[in-house]
Amino acid sequence: MTARLKVTAQALALAGVAGLLALLVWKLTHQQHAPAVGAAAPVFTLHRLDGAGKVSLASLRGRPVVLNFWASWCEPCKSEAAVLERDWTRYHGRGVVFLGIDYHDLAPDARSFVRHHALTFPMLEDGSGQVTGSYGISQVPETYVLSRQGRVVAHLSGPITDPGFAGRFRSALARAAAA
Amino acid sequence: MIVRFLAVVAAALVLAGPAAAACAHPRTSLAYLEGQVMCPTCHTTLDQSDSAAAHQIEVFISQKIAACWTAQRIESALVANYGPQILAAPPRKGFDLLAWWLPIAGVLAGALVLAAGVWRWSRREPEPPEPADSGLDEETERRLDDLLARFD
Repeated sequence: MTARLKVTAQALALAGVAGLLALLVWKLTHQQHAPAVGAAAPVFTLHRLDGAGKVSLASLRGRPVVLNFWASWCEPCKSEAAVLERDWTRYHGRGVVFLGIDYHDLAPDARSFVRHHALTFPMLEDGSGQVTGSYGISQVPETYVLSRQGRVVAHLSGPITDPGFAGRFRSALARAAAA
Repeated sequence: MIVRFLAVVAAALVLAGPAAAACAHPRTSLAYLEGQVMCPTCHTTLDQSDSAAAHQIEVFISQKIAACWTAQRIESALVANYGPQILAAPPRKGFDLLAWWLPIAGVLAGALVLAAGVWRWSRREPEPPEPADSGLDEETERRLDDLLARFD
């Protein structure tokens, strides 16, 4: 009886350790990373911040897309807002789509940010952070430029007004628009 | 840090004054909710965070407390905006119930195993002492007994 009890306890302990190991492996294999340049951008469908329906990235296939992740509490996002709006007005006639994705933000504050900076490109809300997670966003602002085929052309982790990023953003935008 | 604290306190005071008289139930506190709500960017509770996102939520909570919202209503509004992961404790329904019951089940199972072990140990009878072994074969032992008998 004692031997059987001992074997059962050992089996239970082993099963527990195996379960914890499986959990660790699952966590490591399901960690979200930023898609690399050249990789397919994760598709998504998100509600518009103004409540007027949804936008699906897949439906924009065939057009270059700029994804800008921002938040109303983010200081550098304020400085780049005007630059993004200017580039949007410059490029949308050439088929480029700009999408703003609001990151871990209160929707009313986000809407007043959009109004305050007079931003006219579509703004989407990612309340749960699922989409920002799939793009490996850990800080804002971050900007992705996607090709017509939905592949990442450039990923800029910081404000596009940053001297190191401004040139890269423009050239990526020009490449995506021309391709 | 101090500026942030003062801003939250100032917002709470400005908004609390006019609304105080209209509140029909005990008012919840920012300190209480800071321990119940997570900072979405740093994954700690608000009271342990100094991020801009946490500060924004603290201002929101202060405004809602001033407007006489209950803690539950404020939490519901935050869940509607950020999803259930904004709460430090998982909801007590559905699959999330496991997070509440598993630790209790684990402690109970551990206590049962411990109690069973103690009970078995306390009921174990002492084993009879083994007979002393002289280390001699039977023939030698018999002869030794005979010799000893002569001296008796």
